[in-house]
Amino acid sequence: MTAAASSDADLIAAHAAGDPHAFAELVRRHRDRMWAVALRTLRDPEEAADALQEAFISAFRAAANFRAESQVTTWLHRIVVNACLDRMRRRQTRPTVPLPEAGPGEPVAPRDAMAERETHLVVQAALNELPEEQRAPIVLVDVEGYSVAETARMLGIAEGTVKSRCARGRAKLAKVLGHLRNRSASANVPADGVNVRQQRQWEER
Amino acid sequence: MTGNARRSGPPWSVDLLADLHAGLLDPREEAELRPLVEADPEAKEVLAALDATVQDLRDLPPLRMPDNVASRIDAALAEEARRSAPQPTGQPVAPVVDLAARRRKRLGWGAGLLTAAAAAVGLAVMVIPNGGGGEGGQQAQPPATTPSTGASADKPLAVRGNDFGPVLGDVLKAQNYGPLENQEKLAGCLRGANIVAAKPIGVSPITLDDKPAVMAVLPRGAGTKGQFRIVVLDPATCGPDNPDGVLADSPVGPN
Repeated sequence: MTAAASSDADLIAAHAAGDPHAFAELVRRHRDRMWAVALRTLRDPEEAADALQEAFISAFRAAANFRAESQVTTWLHRIVVNACLDRMRRRQTRPTVPLPEAGPGEPVAPRDAMAERETHLVVQAALNELPEEQRAPIVLVDVEGYSVAETARMLGIAEGTVKSRCARGRAKLAKVLGHLRNRSASANVPADGVNVRQQRQWEER
Repeated sequence: MTGNARRSGPPWSVDLLADLHAGLLDPREEAELRPLVEADPEAKEVLAALDATVQDLRDLPPLRMPDNVASRIDAALAEEARRSAPQPTGQPVAPVVDLAARRRKRLGWGAGLLTAAAAAVGLAVMVIPNGGGGEGGQQAQPPATTPSTGASADKPLAVRGNDFGPVLGDVLKAQNYGPLENQEKLAGCLRGANIVAAKPIGVSPITLDDKPAVMAVLPRGAGTKGQFRIVVLDPATCGPDNPDGVLADSPVGPN
């Protein structure tokens, strides 16, 4: 049986030993975080669901070969991220569906948290506008809190590349979110980039 | 310096400061730049803006996987577990419950016998012979399923025999009612067979032994966590008044 208190590594071992429930328990533990990564990376709930299903089935089949050199979560994330990246590459020209403003994926907001929720929507919208190569590392490092080293392993790129892409992405976001005033200095930021926060403030007047 | 036109002084290059902020510069370059940045309000303002941006990103709320996605993934994993489980020697891959026996005994769908069979092997499929042919129901056949790459109007998922496993993943991804058109007609067909179910996790037109059919994967409701139900309907005959419009009915997943 699958003990609720088992570690992730225990669950992988139990799965490899034939426990039919172990892998499902592992997925249940981490699925919300995986969902967040997939949804924020792909921006389309249907695509995110498809990518996760593919990734989890792939992980199920590969789990017997898992070696404890990396954490289970890093390993699982890498499979999920790769499934998302594959989908991104395949759909290069396809338009994406914006994230729903509210729904089952959003936690229930306290009654005094409307402004905060709006801010989250603005930040998410700005994140969605980033090029995919910058969005994935930003989601993993800044939103999900993974280290640069873990993110580099998940994405299969050098740590310096992760830092560089995060730096470019943050500079763009800083401007779009209104933290960075429009200045003459170059920041690879589109000159006509919309200051989402300011625009919202204007709309509220 | 990197040799490009990035300015380390007013007006500062935001790219250069973003690289410094991200820890991208080599130690010597960073050591040279830090005192200049600390002494310049404009540079400090840019770094503060980058800090605020990172904080905004960190403050994004955690997301919860929607229940329908979680159910779909649970079902796919349960099916994968079933398929990868070692089969007892000499046992059929998917024992089929004799429909005639079921009719004689008037068992309800998903009754104890079927559940017990499902518990033993993870998946049991009740195959109901169509029309007057095939007396006595089919015995277990070797899996002869021909999965297609996806259900479409031109090429629906094709199933032979009783092994629905290979097409399950595609059906789980679909919300295509095919000839049944919509959820109401599907629900009517299920009602006819005394099956009460919420919206299907996945539904797709298929062919079952070359005959048009609709396959639905249904949640099994509260108290039956981890279990799902495959139902295959004959769109030409199923309806609220026809208990025989169901071609197959099978639980999926561990108990």
